[in-house]
Order: sequence, then C-alpha cells, then structure tokens
Amino acid sequence: MFRITCRIAWASLARRGSRSLLVVLMIAMSLWGLLFLEGIYDGMTEQMISNAIRSDSGQISLFAAGYRQDPDLDRLISQTEEVGRLLDNDRRVRSHVQRLRQDGLAATAHYARSVTVFGVDLGAERAHGRLDRYLIAGAYDFGDRKKGVLLGARLADKLKVKIGGKLIVSAQNSAQEVAGVALTITGIVRANNMALDEAAVFIDMDKARELFMTPTGVSQICVILQDEQDIAALRQELQQRFPDLEVLRWDEIYPALLQGRVMMKGFNLVMSLLIFGVAGLGIFGVMVVSVLERLREFGIMLAIGTSFSRVRQIIFTESFILGATGYLAGSLLGGATLVYFYHHGLDLTVFSQGLQEFGMDAITYAVIRPQYFLTAFGAVMLATLVSVLIPLRLLKKSNPIEAINKV
Amino acid sequence: MNSSFLEVKNISKTFQPGRDVQVAALADITLSFNRGEFVVIHGPSGSGKTTLLNIMGGLDSPTSGDVILDGEKVTGVPEKQLSRLRRDHIGFVFQAYNLIPVLTARENIEYVMQLQGRGRLECTNRTQQVAEKLAIDKLLDKLPNQLSGGQQQRVAVARAVASSPKLILADEPTANLDSKSAAGLMDMMQALNEDEGITIIFSSHDPLVIGKAKHSVLLRDGMVASDEFFG
Repeated sequence: MFRITCRIAWASLARRGSRSLLVVLMIAMSLWGLLFLEGIYDGMTEQMISNAIRSDSGQISLFAAGYRQDPDLDRLISQTEEVGRLLDNDRRVRSHVQRLRQDGLAATAHYARSVTVFGVDLGAERAHGRLDRYLIAGAYDFGDRKKGVLLGARLADKLKVKIGGKLIVSAQNSAQEVAGVALTITGIVRANNMALDEAAVFIDMDKARELFMTPTGVSQICVILQDEQDIAALRQELQQRFPDLEVLRWDEIYPALLQGRVMMKGFNLVMSLLIFGVAGLGIFGVMVVSVLERLREFGIMLAIGTSFSRVRQIIFTESFILGATGYLAGSLLGGATLVYFYHHGLDLTVFSQGLQEFGMDAITYAVIRPQYFLTAFGAVMLATLVSVLIPLRLLKKSNPIEAINKV
Repeated sequence: MNSSFLEVKNISKTFQPGRDVQVAALADITLSFNRGEFVVIHGPSGSGKTTLLNIMGGLDSPTSGDVILDGEKVTGVPEKQLSRLRRDHIGFVFQAYNLIPVLTARENIEYVMQLQGRGRLECTNRTQQVAEKLAIDKLLDKLPNQLSGGQQQRVAVARAVASSPKLILADEPTANLDSKSAAGLMDMMQALNEDEGITIIFSSHDPLVIGKAKHSVLLRDGMVASDEFFG
C-alpha cells in the first residue's frame, strides 16, 4: 500500500511538473540564502573572536590579582617559570606567551599619542597567535639591536609614520619615574582588534624590561588550547593552583564579543524565520491550490473506502517529497557555496573601513557547521508539513460527495 | 438468496440551501432489498435517486432514519467505521466514472483490494479475472484519459467488483454512454450479478436499462411511488 501512496503522490507531482519545480526552487533558493548567511555571519563573528584571542587574550589569560582594575608594574605575575612549566607539560595547551605591558606615550617630532607598550617575544607570538600574519608593512622583526618597534595600523596612521621612521616611546617605570627610548619603526600590524590597532606598540621583551626596570615578572600570560572544550576545566585547575592570580576566559575579557556571538545567533534565527516564513507562505499557497484543485480526486478516494488518514498520508508524502528535494538541492548549492568561501573567503574590501571599526577582516571566511544543515532540514520539513494542514482541514470538513461535486 | 440484507428504514433527507429555505429530497423512505438482487431505482430528475444511493452507501447522512446493511448500521456511525464499511462491503460506480486520474486502469482496479490488504498476487489475478469478464484486459496499462467513456466506465465497474463487495451501488452508470455501450455495460453488470452473486442497485432513467432489472423502485418527489419485482 505504501507503494501506491508513493505512486499517487509522485504521479501527482510529476503531472504538475512546473509547479512542483517552482516549489522545489523556492525551497532550494531560500535554503541556499540561509546557509550562506549563516556561514558568513558566523565566519565574521568567529574571526572577530579569533582575532581577539590570537592578538590579545588567548582563550585563557592570567593576571596578577588586581592588575585589571589597576594595571601597574607593581602587580605583575611573579610565578612565571612555574606557570610556564605547568603549561608546557599540559597536553591540552597548544601554546602560551608572556607579555609585559604598560601604558605610555609614543611621540614623533610632530605628533604624540597615548599607547599601550607590549614587551613581547616575537618568536613566541608567531607560534602562539601568528602575530606575523597581521603584519601589513615592514618586517616582523625588531632588528639585530632590538631597537625596532611594531605599531598598530591606526596608531601609525594617526602618528603619520612610516617604516623606518623614528619613534620615542616613554612610560613610567617601576621606580615611578618616566623613562623613554628611541626606536625605529620596523613593522605595522593590523589585527582587526580595535584596542591593539589604535594603541599597541610592540617592543622586544628585554627592551621592555630595561625600559620599565622590571627584571622579572610579566603582566599577562595568554594560553591557547588544542580544544575549546577544555577551557573551563583548565581555567579552574589554574585558578586552584594559583589562587593569588586572576584566571579569566576570553569572553570575560571581551564580553562584547560573546554578546556579539549571541546576537549573531539571534540574528540568524530571525533570518531563518523570515526566510522560511516567506518560503513557507509560497509552499502553503501552492499546496492549498494543489489540494483544492484535487478535492474531487480525494473525494473519490474517500468514497471508495480510503480512510482520511490514508489521504492525509498521500498529501504529506507529496509535501515531504517536495520539501526533501528542495532541501537536497538547497543543501548542495548552499554547501558548495560555503565550501568555496571557506577556502577562498568572501572579499568585502569595499566595506573594509566599516568592518575594521567592528574588528572584522575585509576577507571573511565562511564557517561550516553540521547544525546548519540539521536545523535547515527541520525548518524545511516544518514549513512544508505545516503548509498542508489547512488544506487537509478543508478536506476533512467535506464529506466525499461534497468533495466530488465541488469541482 | 432471498434473505433481506439491505434495509432502508424511514429515511428522510432535507437540504438547507439558504437560511430560511429547506428542501426535502427524501421523505420517509422505507425499502428492503434481498441478497443478490439486480435493482433499479428510477424516476425523474430531482426525485432523490442519487441522494438515496449516497445515503445507502454511507457517502451522505440522512436527516432521520436508518440504513442497515447485512445487520450492520450504515447511518450514524463514525467516519472511520464508515470508511471501512465502504472499503470492504460496498462498491461504487459513478455517472462520471470517477477513476483516479494519475493511476493506470490496473492500479485503479487494484486500489481498493490493496486498501483491503490483499496480497500482490491475489490482486493481480483478481484484476485479470475481472478485466477479462469486462473485456478491458488489453487496456490495463492505460491511464483514464487514454480511455473512452465506455472503457472508463467498465474500469470503474471492474474496480467496484474486484474487491468482492456485498453490494454495488451504481449512480446512472450509463448516463454518459452511447446506447450500444450502455447496453453492453448493463449486460456485463447483469452477468456479474449472476456469476458473483453481488447485489447491484443502480439508478437510471433510461428505459432500456430499467427493463433489465428484476426489482424496480420508482421515486417521485422524494417518495416511493412504486416498488415492484419482475420475473
């Protein structure tokens, strides 16, 4: 009997080929749009988060107690070797770096800006957050005498400096005196992390220790893990092991990014509802007409002894075939588009200035997640199945003879 | 052969086409039919033939009264039960053939048997047997729109007969056929009635068709004007 149910459903769809094709295309295009938007929007959010993690916070950051409320050279992490050893031996940790930071001033002959000076180890930063990939001009190097400096791109613009230009960096040292050093600009970086691009001055760690008169200790230790799932556990372990340190997750350091991620999820949900609302209305219209047009046919079936549930099964089967075909076509199209943009990225250079304001890259790489396809399947099936409920109700209200005589 | 198995008791049917308008289609009809009869219900247009057939077949409900088929109530039962009753015990032949347009003649004939849950081989054999009797065995793989009116009506009769019902209700089965096809169809139905022992009740106003019946009911203005038996 299932065979004949399918046969009737299939024959009826084939007989109205152009209309069926229209519904399938409508579902496929809606799904394609939805998958593309989901992948790209998630790609944007993930890139913002990734930029923040790579260039600054790591997935976990350790600070001395009170440092974040009052960043001062008196509040440095002293157990650097112990923490470093522990992290080196933990298989969950992919990389970690130590940074010394102090607010200061960067000045040229004509301009001056307040900055954040980071004492870093370029080799470690490359391995950790691939800082070298943010370089947009010059070299990823402080030079042989370690007198080079890397600047954030927006800071370089504001100071109107170029590669090879001179920069005086001054800051208060641990003796509460202002100390300064003359450096040569060797590189300019754009991390699409507004705080860094606007104010970061990266200098060699040893040069920073010399400038700040801090032979030991660091302001921040950043950790990136092999697997995001381990963040909570490692954070808890580190906090228990070093109770006098403040151990924070990336989203505690950048709560706005987490909000952005939540907001984007909500936005995606609204988009999905809108897209499938529109598609659902289209499917609904086609299915209503399709059932009403065939009321006589269904009336005949009922008259010769087909139960209403069997007729319902036929209508649902038709609807399912339409939905599933549309879903397959849309998934293939959307999936292929996402794979393309996953590898090649979507070039939004035209909007790069606006995107940078939000810490986004000009080239956005799509994200592909299985749940896109699962939720889309649910949405397509829901839209197609709900769309036949009213036509079915109309049919249920008619007795077989009324249905036969209606047309 | 002569045990009464279809009883129509005090059936009335009133339609309400407008708010304050009531039309009595049937008024207190009481009839009794025996097993294996070949019955015609005739009368002028609007006399209530189709309404009576629909009520006897459970396709419509009466305003009052009862229909009992082989001891089983047809009126006032839930739709699910009624649907089962139509599937297992009643075959319908409609004036406009009413075949399922997307199925071939074979699939149309097999359809009710499949609903009954019969096996594939049984369906195939029974279809072939009935199709040969009705001379449509060469047309089984055609779609309804590839058949003439007479051929479609024979497929409709085959569909009604194939599921081995107790009763076949045929509403003006020859109305859309030419006289030759009509006579041929009636001969075939008569043969089925005799061979298979199925009770066949049909409505008609064609004198040629009426003349073939052994039990004749004349309706006029929704009432039984005469109820006669022949031969």
